Amino acid sequence: MSFDIANNVALQQVLATMEIERKRIAATQTKGYIFITAGILLCILGFFLGFPIPGVIGGLIPLIYGGVLLFKINDSLTAYQSAYKTNVIGAALKFLDESLAINPYQGIEASEFMYTQLFSNEPDRYKTEDLVTGCADKTRFYFAEVHAEYKTVTQTKNGTRTEWHDIFKGIIFAADFNKKFNGVTIVRPKDFGAAFGAWFSKNLFSFSGNDVIQLENVEFDKTFVTYGSDQVESRYILTPAMMERILNLNHQTKYNISLSFIESRMYIAFPLNRNYFEAPVFKSLLSPETVNEDISTIKFMYDIVKELDLNTRIWGKE
Amino acid sequence: MIIALVVIGFIFLIGIFFYNSLIGKKNQVTNAFSAIDVMLKKRFDLIPNLVEVVKQYTTYEQGTLTKIVELRAKAGSPNISNAEKADLDAQLGNSVKGLMVNIENYPDLKANTNFINLQTTWTESEEQIAAARRTYNASVTDYNNSIMMFPGSLFAGMLNFQAIAVLETAAEERKNISAKELFNN
Repeated sequence: MSFDIANNVALQQVLATMEIERKRIAATQTKGYIFITAGILLCILGFFLGFPIPGVIGGLIPLIYGGVLLFKINDSLTAYQSAYKTNVIGAALKFLDESLAINPYQGIEASEFMYTQLFSNEPDRYKTEDLVTGCADKTRFYFAEVHAEYKTVTQTKNGTRTEWHDIFKGIIFAADFNKKFNGVTIVRPKDFGAAFGAWFSKNLFSFSGNDVIQLENVEFDKTFVTYGSDQVESRYILTPAMMERILNLNHQTKYNISLSFIESRMYIAFPLNRNYFEAPVFKSLLSPETVNEDISTIKFMYDIVKELDLNTRIWGKE
Repeated sequence: MIIALVVIGFIFLIGIFFYNSLIGKKNQVTNAFSAIDVMLKKRFDLIPNLVEVVKQYTTYEQGTLTKIVELRAKAGSPNISNAEKADLDAQLGNSVKGLMVNIENYPDLKANTNFINLQTTWTESEEQIAAARRTYNASVTDYNNSIMMFPGSLFAGMLNFQAIAVLETAAEERKNISAKELFNN
């Protein structure tokens, strides 16, 4: 199904109304930044010309005015961004499938994030938003944006320095799996650390209860390391056909994905480097690529169910 | 003297490590086969129910049903090797597959809830057995690799560890299913 924004009258009307608001916000923000820059320049000029006090006083007035402009427009900006998610993304979702809905203020909780077993670090700072829920035929699924970080504190000459590092930034996707299973199967990208860890636990000693599972698909084994609590069950989930489908899905993304299968549910983590579903301020809403990028993300997530053939329910799970 | 003792001790420790690892891998193979056995038993247990349900709706599939019952009885007998069991299972799988295709001709049977449940359980067991066979083959490959590769090959030779054959997919299973052939059964 292709999503034709240009011919969608209702969406075009929403976009046109929001474009007026966007222009107003953009103009006010530009004005605010110009006043702030002018204020700073005046201060510097005053110092250089030998009139520091008149320079500071003369610079402070436009600086404060610029600041007030930005502060006053902030509420409108929040309302505009929220309206974009509800009205534009919401409408696009309904167009794709009636069951789809977005909740900008909900996400995947930190406890569920850890429950996926895809990440070993416990986050110190956790942000989640834009929960999309829906049903593709028989398969229920949901996904949300997640940004999880951990911090390191180092001692320096001037005290301590706190640094934040990403555990994960991107989209976590969850769906009902079409087969029943009790154990845990985890598929992680094979970077150097994972490859070494896998070799270590296979040949010497395993720290966790999960074994490394050697699979027959050579490309799959080169791209991912698979861990499982039950060898047979992991292979029951990762059939030759399923491994091909996962590889196909992985080829469509820029960064390698991670997957976990827990209690008859599957989780996929898609690392992304941009914030999705954010309304543009300095770019027109009416140019097709602005909205298209967000819509293709949703479409991609929606199509995972089809791509992984999760609607085939012949294995005793409805 | 001390150096020689240290070297001998070191070689002895390595020997123990490889011996234990080989035994571990061999046990893994046995364990993997018992997983296939469990799955096969589960599948064989479905047969009487399947036969009963099919019998109620058709009198034309008697030949296939008798063959299925016979194969199940053979596979269930105690003095049977692993390879034979796997072979009988493959034959049984093909017969049931043929039966499932023929059942397309009986709309009443196709709509029967018991039959639909059995069909689903059968498909589930097919994939579970496939998974168990793949696990077995992976364990065998792992074991064979360690007794054939240096330095494991040294110890394996001395301690008489033999390579184990992987389970081949039955010729019929590898072929694409031809509906025409199945209908002519």
